[in-house]
Amino acid sequence: MKIPRPLLYLLVLAVLFSLPFFTGVYFLNVMDLILIYMALALSWDMLLRSGQISFGMAGFFGVGGYGAALLFLNTGVHPLVSIVLGGLVAGVLAWLIGSAVLQLRGMYFAIVTLALAEIFRVIVRNLPDLTGGPEGTILPQAIFAGNSTYTYWLVLSVAVLSVAVSEVFRHTRIHFALTSIRNDEIVAKSSGIDVFKYLVFLFAVTSAIQGITGGAYAHIYGFVSPEGSFSVDFTLLPIAMALLGGMHSTWGPVVGAVVLGVVSEFLKLQIPYGHLMVYGIIIVVAILFFPQGIVGTLGQKMKKTSSH
Amino acid sequence: MNISHKLRQSNYQIAMISVILIVVLGPWKPHVLVEGFQRACLYAVIALPMALILGIVGIINLAHGNYMMLGAYFAYSLNVYIGMDPLVAIVPALIAFFLIGMASYRAIIKYVLGTPELNQLLLTFGLAMMLEQMANLIWTSRPIKLPLQYVSASATIGSFTFGTYEFIYVGAAMVVLVGLQLFLKRTRMGQAALAVGQNPRGAKLVGIHVDRTYLLVFSLSIALIGALGAIFMTRHSIFPLVGGAFTMKSFCLIAMAGIGNLMGILWCSLILGLAENFVLSFRGYAGWADILFFALIVLVIMVRSHQRKVK
Repeated sequence: MKIPRPLLYLLVLAVLFSLPFFTGVYFLNVMDLILIYMALALSWDMLLRSGQISFGMAGFFGVGGYGAALLFLNTGVHPLVSIVLGGLVAGVLAWLIGSAVLQLRGMYFAIVTLALAEIFRVIVRNLPDLTGGPEGTILPQAIFAGNSTYTYWLVLSVAVLSVAVSEVFRHTRIHFALTSIRNDEIVAKSSGIDVFKYLVFLFAVTSAIQGITGGAYAHIYGFVSPEGSFSVDFTLLPIAMALLGGMHSTWGPVVGAVVLGVVSEFLKLQIPYGHLMVYGIIIVVAILFFPQGIVGTLGQKMKKTSSH
Repeated sequence: MNISHKLRQSNYQIAMISVILIVVLGPWKPHVLVEGFQRACLYAVIALPMALILGIVGIINLAHGNYMMLGAYFAYSLNVYIGMDPLVAIVPALIAFFLIGMASYRAIIKYVLGTPELNQLLLTFGLAMMLEQMANLIWTSRPIKLPLQYVSASATIGSFTFGTYEFIYVGAAMVVLVGLQLFLKRTRMGQAALAVGQNPRGAKLVGIHVDRTYLLVFSLSIALIGALGAIFMTRHSIFPLVGGAFTMKSFCLIAMAGIGNLMGILWCSLILGLAENFVLSFRGYAGWADILFFALIVLVIMVRSHQRKVK
């Protein structure tokens, strides 16, 4: 029996949506974190599909968080609106920065993005009047008064948004443009693809997703701080997840996020200090032994068995 | 000939800028000059081994600073358990980190040499995180500093007092720079390494053992940076995250000087060290000094890529 794809998606979505009705608060909190990292992993992978590697997720995550929190505090807009605006701030910032640094390729681009989180952190720390300086800013109350069901639905919609964007990128002309840029930029250019325009667009969109995720995170936990919002976790974990699940696909990062998210809950209890080491090991092992990740490796196996 | 000529020119320009900086700063803010000079040499000596790996093995090692951090903890442990002075610990650190470098190369780095740059970046990033968190697990994130008497040595000229111990960085930078130049230009092994860096296939054709050269250069660089960790920890407090910033700053210097230009690194770090200390010397703005490197790197790379386009 073969279920048509749209129906399958709707079914999965319905199950995910109705989870709060028959699970506890702890489970929902774990789900929140998994979905947040899933959105980040997807946004990272989307840029990777063009061959550009970014280590700057934590930067735009933090910018989105600060943007949402400060807009909420200073203009009094609804928290949900402030989250979207925070994402927009991150997106516009990425567009401006991207216009400058996307001339760079390979390691130069990677290192500049690696520095971005650091730069943003220093800027935020040095503007105490606006951002609260090194101590950060505490929001008067978490979004939805901390109701775990609504919070879960918020995070779920962010994750679904990123999956949707990723699927759109996979199944439109953009996919071909990005793949050809990754394979050979000169060929892409001579086929009439405006490489620079695509890259800037992609960088802005993925950073906006990271910003929205950061805004949601800031509102859920009710505070932003230079060390917390720009933490290296938000770069390291999504990369490990995307690599474990499989690069260059939508479902790779999704699978990776679920697997690693569950594992990390367990690890946190076992080794509270230094459980991040496991993510480093996962990255190294994944690159060395199965660069295609879980989804890619399984996909190959299935192909082999079906061809027999 | 053409390329080396151009390099010399850009070195010359950078040297001019640093000389101007020194002349302006000397009478105005002498402590900026002295401390900036010392700091610059620290940056240079950290960046040199990374430049060596990038220039010859062709890999950007994002775990570079983390090896230094490990070296610092290594010296710390030797001090705690057998009471060895960190400066004496340089010798065991050199040997231990040569072996660690060999192990890292054989077990990990070797396998990504031929793969796309992206894999190399991700791999060394993962390695960096692994080392950092390993240190976190073993030594916790508490900053550590050894109480050493000799590091607070100072000298006074007129009304101006400055620390003299930090000149050890200047010495280290000179030893490493001169040593590396001699190694690369005068020894057979170094010449072979240079040849491999320029053209691995050609080098292989004339009978150079490329893999062994990579192994040697990588291990040598890790040995240098590990030993430097021992010097670093005498003056600075260490914690697992201490290395990360130096990785990025080193890369800034290498990108500014141009890959393969060891002398240029010294000049570039001189400019950046002085500029950073200059910003630090203004009360209330010191927090901004950390950005300076990154602002400059973005600027330099942009200017470089623009120049290339115009030509």
